[in-house]
Amino acid sequence: MIASPTTGPRMPVLKVENLAVAYKIRGGEVEAIQNVSFEIARGETFGVVGESGCGKSTTAWAVVNFLGANGYVKRGSIKFQGQELLGKSGEELRQLRGDQIAMVYQDPMQSLNPSMRLGDQMKEVLTVHRGVSDAEATRRCVEMLDRVYMPDPAAVLRRYPHQISGGQQQRVVIAMALLNNPALLIMDEPTTALDVTVEAAVLDLIAELRRDFDTAIMFISHNLGVIARICNRVGVMYAGELVERATVQELFADPQHPYTQGLIRCLPRLGADKAGSVLYPIRGRVPPPSNRPAGCVFSPRCDYVQERCRLERPELRQLPNGTFVRCHFAEVIDPAAWIPSADVRLIPPPAGNGAGAPILEVQGLKKYYPLQGSSLRDVVGLGEQRFVQALEDASFTVHKGQTLGIVGESGCGKSTLVKTIIGLESSSGGRAEFLGLDITGDLSDRNTELIRELQMVFQNPDATMNPSYTVGYQIARPMERFGTVPKGQIRAEVLRLLEAVRLGENYYNRLPRQLSGGEKQRVGIARALASRPDLVLCDEPVSALDVSVQAALLNLLLEVQQEYGTTMVFIAHDLSVVRYFSDQVAVMYLGQVVDIGPAEAIYAPPYHPYTEALLSAVPIPDPAAQQRRIRLEGTVPSAIDPPSGCRFHTRCPRRALLPDGGRICEMEVPPWREAGNGHRILCHIPLETLRDLPPVITVSP
Amino acid sequence: MLVKDCMTRHPVMAPPTMLAAEAQHLMHENQIRHLPVVGDGKRLLGLVNQLSFALDPGALASLDVWEITRHLSRLSVSDVMIPADKIETIAPDRTIERAARHMTDHKISCLPVVEDDDVVVGILTEVDLLHAFQLMLGLPSDGVRVTMRMPNRPGEFARLTAVLGRQQWGVMGIGTFPTPRREGFYDAVIKIRGVDSAEARAVLSQVPDQEIVDIRDVV
Repeated sequence: MIASPTTGPRMPVLKVENLAVAYKIRGGEVEAIQNVSFEIARGETFGVVGESGCGKSTTAWAVVNFLGANGYVKRGSIKFQGQELLGKSGEELRQLRGDQIAMVYQDPMQSLNPSMRLGDQMKEVLTVHRGVSDAEATRRCVEMLDRVYMPDPAAVLRRYPHQISGGQQQRVVIAMALLNNPALLIMDEPTTALDVTVEAAVLDLIAELRRDFDTAIMFISHNLGVIARICNRVGVMYAGELVERATVQELFADPQHPYTQGLIRCLPRLGADKAGSVLYPIRGRVPPPSNRPAGCVFSPRCDYVQERCRLERPELRQLPNGTFVRCHFAEVIDPAAWIPSADVRLIPPPAGNGAGAPILEVQGLKKYYPLQGSSLRDVVGLGEQRFVQALEDASFTVHKGQTLGIVGESGCGKSTLVKTIIGLESSSGGRAEFLGLDITGDLSDRNTELIRELQMVFQNPDATMNPSYTVGYQIARPMERFGTVPKGQIRAEVLRLLEAVRLGENYYNRLPRQLSGGEKQRVGIARALASRPDLVLCDEPVSALDVSVQAALLNLLLEVQQEYGTTMVFIAHDLSVVRYFSDQVAVMYLGQVVDIGPAEAIYAPPYHPYTEALLSAVPIPDPAAQQRRIRLEGTVPSAIDPPSGCRFHTRCPRRALLPDGGRICEMEVPPWREAGNGHRILCHIPLETLRDLPPVITVSP
Repeated sequence: MLVKDCMTRHPVMAPPTMLAAEAQHLMHENQIRHLPVVGDGKRLLGLVNQLSFALDPGALASLDVWEITRHLSRLSVSDVMIPADKIETIAPDRTIERAARHMTDHKISCLPVVEDDDVVVGILTEVDLLHAFQLMLGLPSDGVRVTMRMPNRPGEFARLTAVLGRQQWGVMGIGTFPTPRREGFYDAVIKIRGVDSAEARAVLSQVPDQEIVDIRDVV
C-alpha cells in the first residue's frame, strides 16, 4: 500500500453538526431529525441507511435547503467547505447549488423536463452557466454521456426523456450532475427504481466517477447491499437520529448499535434458505416524529433495553475501535449471544421435504398481445398482424406445498406469466393445468371453485384495496362470495386470519389509509388466504417494504405455508429473497424461462449465462464478499421482435465460449440441457463448459 | 503528469460579496493560503491571499479604533482581492513543468486552474507541486535511492535500465538532471523497490562508465 505524501489536515467538504430539522404543523411543530452529525471528505462516499421515515432524505434536503415552506433548520450547523450554509441568502445558495452541489433523486423523471430534448436540457448547463458555444457544449455532453456508458450518445441527445429507459434516464441525470463538476454530490436512492443489472452498472459508474472527479458523495439508500458495495463510511439513521457511524467494513463485521444488528439480521444472506436459517424482524416500528420515546429512541424495539434506556437519551460517543454509536450499553452487548425474543415465532424447517403431487402443470404456455398498427392497411385489417411476445413457451411443474420463485429483469414476462395463470389474461397457446383442470381459457369460463383455489397477493397493496371498505369487510368478502365459511362465523374467521397475519382485533374496523405499508400488505395476504386457496401467486409482495417489515412478512408467508400447506408462486427481483423463500427457482428472460431447477442448484455452477450475470449484479450486504464482475450490455430487447435463435444472444457475455463466436446462438433456438436433479438450462454452451466456470460469489469466512 | 493530475480539485472559493473578515476566517478554518473569488458559474473574478489582508498602516494612522472597526466591517472580498486581469492562470491539460515555470517566472505561489477561459476547476499551489515532486522520486514507498552519474550521450540511460531489467528490479521513482558544475554529465536519481543498498551497490557499480554518486536506504 502506497501512502500518499503527507498532507496537512484536510477540511471535510461537508460537515454537519448537531443538526435538527423541524416541520411546523398545525398546533406546533415536530422535529423530524435531531442531533445529526457527520462529515464527508473529498473523494469519499458516505452512506446513509435506515428504514423509511427515519429522516434520511430530510437530512439531504436540509443541506440544500429544500425543506419546503413549513420546514426549517432548528439547531446545528451545516458547513460546506468551511462556509456555513445556514443563514445564507437564497441567491447565494442558488449559486452554490448550481455550481458546487448537485443532487440525484430516486426518480430520474423528477429532474428531467419531459417536453425538452435531452440534448437541450444537458447543454443548458454549459451554455447558461459557462457560456460555451453550442457546438462545444454538444461535444462535451456526448463525451460525458460516453463516460456514463450511454450507448450511442449522439442519438440520445436528440431524444426526449420518455424515449429512453429508466436506467438510461438515471445515467443522463448523473451525467448532467457531473457536467458542472460539483464538489458535493447528494444521491437519494439513485438506484432503487432500477433493475438489479442496471443498478450494478450505475453503482460501478458512481464508484469510478468518485475516483476520477474527486467528488464527495452523500449516498442515501435503504438497501444495505448497495451501501456495502459503494460506500467508505456509513451512518445508520433511526427515528431522526444518527445511531451509528462507522467504516463500511466495521459496520458489517461488527455492528455496535442494536438497531444496526437488527437490520443485518433481517436480511436473507445470499445462499441462505428457509430450512437452514431464520430471518429475525425487528419488532414494532419506527415511531412517528411527534411521538418519540423520552429516552433512547430505539428502546421500545430494543432487545437489550434497561431502565436507563427509558430515562436517559444516549449521546453519540466514540468507541475504542473508532465507531461512533448512540447506545448506553454498546460495549456490553454481544450480538453473538443474541437470542430472539419470545414474540418472534420460529418456523420449524419444513417437515418431510418430499414434494407432494403436482398441483400446477404448465407446458409451452404462450401469451401474445396483438399490436395495433397505425397505418390504413392495419386499420382495415389488411396489414400483417404483429404481436408482443410477452410469454413464450413456459414449461414447469409446481408440486403441492412447494414454492416456485421467479426472477428476471423487468419486462421479462414474470407478471404476465402469473396473470395468465390466475386468469387475468387468457393465454395464446400451450397448456396449463391446475389440479387437472384446464386454466388456459378466459376467467369468465372458470367456475367459482377454481377461482377460489387460486389467489393472488399484489405488489402494491394500495392499488388493490378499496379505500372506503374496512379491513374486516375486505377480508370477509371472499368468504361470503365463495361461501367457504357459514355466515354466522365470518367475523370469527376474519379475526382468526387477522391474528394469523399478526394484526389484532382493533384492525377490524380500520380503513386502508389508517394502515402502514407493511400492515396493508398483511391485509392483502389475509385476504388472499380467506378463501383457503391451494395456490397463492405473489407478485413482488415484499419489494416495496422496509427490510424489517420484509423479514416479518416473509416469515408470515412461510408460517402460512406451513400451516395451510399452501403452494406458492413467488415473484421477486431480489435474488437473496427468492433463494431464501423458494424450493424451485425459474429464471426468465424476454418471455422465456431460461434456467429452472432447485433453488440451491440455480445459485451454483453450472449457471445459465443470464443467471450468472444476475448473480454478479446482486448487491450483497457484506463488503468482504467477492463477486466476479459480469455486466450485461444494453437493455432487454423489445418483445415485439425478439432476437432470433437464443433470445439472450444479443447480450450474452459467454457467447465467446462457443466456436465461431457463437454464431449458432443467432441461428438456432438452444436445447434444454439437463444438469441433474431437475435443473435445466436453455443454452447452446455444453454443460461441461458451464460447470467449469467458477462460482460468481465467494464469501470469505 | 499534467496539471489536472496534481491540482486540488474543488478548491474552497468565495463569492465577491463575502466580507473580508469572513474570508479571512474561512482561509484560517480550511488552512489555505489562497482563496479564488468566483461569480456565477464559478467564473474567476479575483484571488485573495494573505497579503490581501495587510492593511496600509498609513491609511489607518489617522483613524481611531472605532473608525478602523467600521472600516473593516464594511470591507468585502471584492475590495481586497487581486482582480482577475492581474492573475496568472493555467489550463488543466498543461504540463506541471510548464506550470512550475509559470510560477517561477512570475514569482507567484499559486495558479488557479481554469477551463473555458475563466471557469475555475481547481487550484495548483507550490504545495501541490512539492507533492508531485515527492511522488516522482518515489518518496511514499520504501526502497533504495541511488544517484547514478553518467556521461551525456545517447544510450547511457538504456545501459542502466538494462541492468535493472536483468535483475527484475522495480523502479518507483525517477528523476534526471544535468550534473551541477560538471559539463557533459547527467545525474539520474532512481528509487528501487525490494532490494537493500549493498545489493544495489554491487550490481550498479558494474555499469561501465557510470558512477554511484550517492546511495541510501533511508531517504
